Order: sequence, then structure tokens, then C-alpha cells
Amino acid sequence: MLSSRLTPFLFLAPALIGLVVFRLAPIGIAVAGSMTGTSLMGDLSFVGLENFAYLFTDAEFWSSLQVTLLFNLIINPLQLAVAFALALLVFQQGRAIWFYRLLLVLPMAVSTGLSAVLFGLFLDGNLGPFNGFLEWIGIGAQAFHRNQDQALGTLIGIATWKGAGYWMLFLLAGLYSIPSSVQEAALIDGATPWQRFRLVTLPLMRKPMAFVLVADTAINFLFFAPVYILTSGGPSGSTSVLMYQAYLSAFTFSDLGRSLAISTILLMIILIIVALELRLLRSPEDHAA
Amino acid sequence: MKLGRRHFLAGVAGAAIMGSAGRLQAQTSVSLSVPWMGWPEEQVRPLMASFEASTPGVKIAEERLPIAELFRTLEVRLSARSATPDVYLVDGPLTASYAARGHLLDLGNLVGGERDRYVASTLVQGTFKDKLFALPLGTSSQLLFYNKKLFAEAGLPEPSADPEKRMTWEGLLDIAKKLTKPETSQFGFAFENSNPYQLLPLPQSRGVKVIGDDGLTATGYVDGDGMVDVMTWYKDLFHTHKVSPIGTFQTGVTQEMFGSGKLAMVLGGTWNLGGFAKFKDLDFGVVAHPFFKGGKPVTPTGSWHVGINPRTAHMEQAQAFVKWMSTRDAMNLWFDLRQYPPSIKQIWDERASTTFVDPVWKIVQYELANTATPRPITPGYREYEEFLRTAMQDIQTGGDVKALLTKAATSIDREMRKYR
Repeated sequence: MLSSRLTPFLFLAPALIGLVVFRLAPIGIAVAGSMTGTSLMGDLSFVGLENFAYLFTDAEFWSSLQVTLLFNLIINPLQLAVAFALALLVFQQGRAIWFYRLLLVLPMAVSTGLSAVLFGLFLDGNLGPFNGFLEWIGIGAQAFHRNQDQALGTLIGIATWKGAGYWMLFLLAGLYSIPSSVQEAALIDGATPWQRFRLVTLPLMRKPMAFVLVADTAINFLFFAPVYILTSGGPSGSTSVLMYQAYLSAFTFSDLGRSLAISTILLMIILIIVALELRLLRSPEDHAA
Repeated sequence: MKLGRRHFLAGVAGAAIMGSAGRLQAQTSVSLSVPWMGWPEEQVRPLMASFEASTPGVKIAEERLPIAELFRTLEVRLSARSATPDVYLVDGPLTASYAARGHLLDLGNLVGGERDRYVASTLVQGTFKDKLFALPLGTSSQLLFYNKKLFAEAGLPEPSADPEKRMTWEGLLDIAKKLTKPETSQFGFAFENSNPYQLLPLPQSRGVKVIGDDGLTATGYVDGDGMVDVMTWYKDLFHTHKVSPIGTFQTGVTQEMFGSGKLAMVLGGTWNLGGFAKFKDLDFGVVAHPFFKGGKPVTPTGSWHVGINPRTAHMEQAQAFVKWMSTRDAMNLWFDLRQYPPSIKQIWDERASTTFVDPVWKIVQYELANTATPRPITPGYREYEEFLRTAMQDIQTGGDVKALLTKAATSIDREMRKYR
């Protein structure tokens, strides 16, 4: 018979094993692999921090890091704001409100790769319909992902088109979880709609917002498919995020060690930024605790 | 019905026996894992089926993958140094890359004595350090396609189809200007895509070397004055003369534009002959690849090869498959399926009075004999191509030519260190 002390672990085992196999082991492999080098004939050797030392002296790495940080600095607050605004819009009661919710959630059903291909066709400078429209209304044709100054913004737009509806769902659920009694109390106290939003809704939405921001950040630091499909990191490196550099290192330059070093650095950055975000969005009650 | 334990166990045992019987049967027939290009199934399966019919007991499990996916899949599986793939499709210029890393079997014993059967230039790209590692399945050439209706509209005479009287790039630019009409979004000329395969003949036509003699040095070549001059000329097509449409990175886009009359001339491969056939209203002519005044005519060439993974568990069958691919019947069928210029002389001879009577094929034959220039032979072609393609695309979208080529050269040299 198993001792009763071991019993809980027995029940926890499936989850713990899953955690180790699918979470900790890959991280371990990546970190260990980042300290290896492979010879042309495939012999693996331990190289210590050589891959990192190389990256830190590589101009391409620094410019890619800059692009990654800029991308995330814009896209994460933007997606949170857009998702929140959409959630507030469809939180209304009304006829056919389900229809609008459906419209906003619909892009979720399109895979990221497919949405990149679709936008590529839509925005194409020579065959795409969108530039014809822009010319017709007098703005003139734009190069979008083919222009060094517009490419990153275009990718942010595509990702937000796809992502905003998804994150809206979590925030909408959050809005529903605010007890109506609190809102009513504020109403009776004579609070204006703005005051109700700022002093009631917003503070009570901290937790769902924190979740969305953190989850969104983790996803956007690993943003890859549209870069691979639409821009290949260009024009002139303007969309060359670290994930793309990691991909190139592994699959084009046959340098798995460097690729894993980039992944490890990304992991560190995500950990630091998520920790900062959680701290920022901590509610006052938590501070007191 | 209640399923008792005894019934259940009997079922499991039965399934196990049947499963192992299936395995026994599978052992008598070997299945080769063969990653292949994602061409339509009806252009791939008949070739494999023909081999299977000729060699009982060997099945070909081909995987049809899109080009980028094919390269990536091969890179992952070969780097893992496992027994599969058994046989795989090799892009000509990648032969050296795979061979240098021990991913290709030396085919010297297999077809070494048959070199004379091949168009000599097609063997070059399958060769690394004087050994044949990948068997050519054909080659390629580029032609200038022009829209007859748009030429007539602009009152221009049609160019000569005689390769000896081919156009100069300077002459082409003058014509392209007359064929460009911004008000109807009509462009004069485009390269079908912006890959080094397409564009390297530009510097080569001026005698500019595109890589160092060691095949590993880019600085001084990729960013040399000759290259900067030529790529500035290329950039001007898009930004100064505005005769070429920006964003034409892929053949699909230029094919569509040419087919729908938005592009008057396009420089592209023989595969476009089939690609343009779907445009019913398109009336096009074909002439030889242009060259720079004072320079020499140069055309790109090279194509798909087939090679064997030295770690294959089915060496005998893999060799039989590749050996079969070198036969006249296999190559004749292959030409029927996809019209790449053949690598075997016999096919050229046999079809001389039928297929190759077409003036288009006369031009191709002339180019292969006189102007075809393979891409650089270097174990680092994948890296070389990646950075050069990026630079060429960035130049097309308006980047600084010298800065982009310098960056590409530095990056290529950086990645080439591992081959030194």
C-alpha cells in the first residue's frame, strides 16, 4: 500500500508530468542547447557562453532586438486598448448585439498564416484592391509591407485585426463579472458615466486586463508567421524580429546553438517584462497585503 | 452486450497478431522516403509509378512540399543525421552545401562512367570537389517574353528572335519607357522575381565577379564597385525610370500582370510557357535574354538534381531509384511531365524534329550551349542566396544600394566562417 503521504502526488502526477515534459524540459533543452555548437559534420560540442558573446557583438542582433522591443512597446498597449474599447462597445444591451460580437470575434477563426497571406494579396501594390481604393479617395497608393517605414505598422495592424476580438472576449467576461449592484450604487450616488467608468469599471477590470496584457505580451514576443510570410524581416531589416533571427539561424545558417541562444534571451526578456507588467497592474489591495 | 475481460484480451491479442502480420508483409516491400517539390500530383506520381512498375518490391513514398518548406524540411531531417530521407530532391547550387556536411552519397560508382550522356553544364552544379553528388534532372534557362498587342499599340516593331541579334539592356530600357503608361498602371518590363538566380546575370554580363575564387568571400565582390553600379541600374528601373513595378518578388505576381496585359515584357523561365497558357487573350512572343552593351550575353541555368542520403537503411533500393532516374525512359517521361530543358543529350536528339522545332526551344538550346552560367559553387550557397536576395528585394523597394550590399557582404562573410 502506498503511504498516505504519497497519495496526493499520485493524483498530481499527470499534471506534474505534463508540466515537466511540455514546459520545463523544452526550456531546459533550449538553455542547455544555447551553450553548444555543431560542427559541419554534426558533432556537438560544449562552447559555454560563446553563442551569447557572439550575439552581443553582432550588429544584426542589436537591430533585431530594437525592432522586437519597438514592436512590443506599440502592439501590446494598442491591442489591450482596442480590445477594451471593443468590449465596452458590445457590452451594451440591444437588438442583434450578438451579430456585432460575432463580427469582432470572426477573425479569430482565420489562422495567423492565412491572415498574412490574405493581407498580402489585399495590400499588394500591383494586384491588390486596397491601393485602388486609396487612389480613388485621393490618398494615393501606399507600399505598406514593402516600405521600410510602414512595414512594422502594417504587421501590427494585421496582428491587431486578428487578435483584438480574441482578447475582447476575456475583457467582456470581466465586464460581466462586475456586480451590477456596484454600478447601481454608483448611479444612485449620482456618479457621471465617466466617473462610473474611471472609478468603478476600470479598477474592477484590473485582473482581466492584467491577464490579457501578460498573455498578449508573451504571444507578441514570439510573433513570427506574418514576418516569415510577408516581409522576410525586411525591407532593410525593419521587421526582423528576434524570432525571425532565431528561425534563420536554425534553418538557413544551420546554427542551432545560436538559434537557442536567441530563444533563451527572448525567454529572459519576456520574464522580465511580464514581471514588470504584473507589478504595474497590481491592485491596491494587493499592495496592502 | 457486456464486454468481458476475456473477450477484451482476446481482441487485443488478435489485433496484435494481425498487426505483426501486416509488418511482415511490409518487410518484403521497401518504401523509400523521398521529399520532392510540391508540383501538382499528376506531374510527380506518374514518374514514381513508372519506377515502381519497373522495380517490384520498392515503393516510393514521395512528399510534395512547397519550395521553402522543402528546404526547411531537408535541413531539419538531414541535420538530425537520421536514416531518412532515403533519396531527396536537391536544388543544384545546394549540392556543395549538402556534400560538405556529409549529407550526399558520392554517385561516382553509380553513374560515373556515363558522363558523356549528359549536357556537360548540367553536371557542374551536381559536382563538389570533382565528385558527382547529385544527378541532374534537367536544367533551366531564361527568356524575354513580350506582349504583341502592347507592342503594336505603342507602334513598336517586334524584336528579333535570333539570339545573335538579342537586345541590349540599354535598348530594352528605351522600349520599356515607351511601353509604360502610369495612367493605366501599365509597366514596361519586369524580372519575373527578385532572386539571385534571376539577377546575377546582370553583373556577370558586365564581367563582374559575384563571389571570391575560394567561394567563401563576399566582401569586395558582393559590395564591389561593379556590383554597386549594376544594382544601381536595377534600382533605377523602379525608382528613376519607373518602368518596373515595385514589389515583384514572386513569379506568381509577374505572371498575373503579364497575363492580364499590365506588363509588356517579362524576363522569365521556360516554365512560364505553361503558366501563360491559361490567359486566353494573351498573344506573346519570345526572344533571347538581353545583355549590357560592351559586355557579354549571360543566362542563368541550373535546376533540380536528385541525391542519396548516405545514412539510408535501404542503400540498394535508393541506388536503384537514382540509377533508374538516369535512364532515357525516365528522363523522357520527366520531360513530358514538366518541360525543363533536358540534361540528357539523347532526349534533345530524339525530339529535335518534334518538340524542339519550336523557335523558343531553339533559343534555349543556343543559350545552354553558349551563354549559360551556373550560380556560384560554394558550400554556403544557402546563406549567400538568403542575404543577397534580401538585399536585392530591399534595393527594389528603394533602399541604399551601397549600404545594403555592404551589409549583405558582411553578413555572408560572417556565416561563411564555418566552412573555412
